[in-house]
Amino acid sequence: MPNQNGSVYGLTILSPIIDDEKAAPSHDLQIRKYLATLPTGEDSPFAKAPGTHLARLVVMDDVVYVGMPSCEEHLNSKYLIFESNLDASADGGIDAYLADLAQNIPEHLDAIWSHCVGYPGASNPRAFIDYMKSCQLTTTFFFAAVNDKSVPDTLRALQTQRAVTDFIASHQGMEPARLQQEFIQFASELKAMPIPPAGSMAPRRAIKTGGRNE
Amino acid sequence: MSNINGKVYAMNAITPMKPWKTWILRLIFFILGRVKPLQSDLINLSFIEFARWVVVPRDKFPMLGNGQQPEKLKYDYLLFFSNFNGTWNQYIDAFSAVLSKGLNLIWQWSEKFPGSVPVTIFKEYIARVQFDTDYYYTAYPHATANDLKSAHIVQASFDSLSQSAASISSEQFANDYLNFVIQVQSHLGETGEAPVVF
Repeated sequence: MPNQNGSVYGLTILSPIIDDEKAAPSHDLQIRKYLATLPTGEDSPFAKAPGTHLARLVVMDDVVYVGMPSCEEHLNSKYLIFESNLDASADGGIDAYLADLAQNIPEHLDAIWSHCVGYPGASNPRAFIDYMKSCQLTTTFFFAAVNDKSVPDTLRALQTQRAVTDFIASHQGMEPARLQQEFIQFASELKAMPIPPAGSMAPRRAIKTGGRNE
Repeated sequence: MSNINGKVYAMNAITPMKPWKTWILRLIFFILGRVKPLQSDLINLSFIEFARWVVVPRDKFPMLGNGQQPEKLKYDYLLFFSNFNGTWNQYIDAFSAVLSKGLNLIWQWSEKFPGSVPVTIFKEYIARVQFDTDYYYTAYPHATANDLKSAHIVQASFDSLSQSAASISSEQFANDYLNFVIQVQSHLGETGEAPVVF
């Protein structure tokens, strides 16, 4: 299935934006204005709905004219593009993902998609899923650098990488029995640590390069 | 407008294609998807987290009624969405230098595509067909594609050692720990804020 690569799903949705000459500002501008205020870090709506690796929202004003001798043509509608790279390993696949969005961030979905033609609202999850799927395009080719890990798997692995780096650096040359004891303790503590929130930057740490960066 | 979030850049591009040519492109993608060695350059470049190409036939733009005017287009369109690490110039330069044949194979069916070499003309074309991202989210803004791959390698090695650590002698542990450090030593790079590039 071209939409899927391993356990990652490439969702591409084009929603036609309402063309109402009486609307002021126009619906596409209202979407853009809202998106400009939306947080992108761990407060992002997509961080609250599980399963999104990377996602973007783009207002596409028109197709592009590349010059003679090609023909110049224009779209009759502007489109809101929703491009998401999401976990499809969970039961329910794309339907479950869209249902999670409708359940967790309905106010954002409504604020954005209410400017699109035929949007039913997120309060009715079944209608919302049907609407989104009616706007879905089939991906022709989907590439994923890592295609077998979920978002929590990845966040935990990045946390582990950082902690292991510190552990190795601070335990060089240690006597084996004590090293073993401290490693077991470290592994136990690391396992018990909560997974870092999606969308967050790694904690700041002084870089000890000993080189010209200092 | 936000094409950049942390260490990732979101590129969008749209190019027109004569409808009969889209079938050739579909065949190329079909083969590319099934013959994995053909993706080796794309994988080895290792600065793309996710990328996709979507062929939109001229009569398949979503049409929902409710007063929406149907599209009347002569061309099919190729949409390209990429999530890559580094700057726009680094990305296009690397694409042009390493993947020129692959890029030509994909985009030569688009109108007025000048070829991916020389890079100056190629960049002019990309700039013309690119459009900006309004909102961009990533679950791990501090990590690059290489960071992700490395982190999963560290996690797997760490899990393996931590499973056996309590049940082996300290001499055996010292040996296993040394092997663990050797396995992960090149995957312990720092993640954090992206460097400022001018």
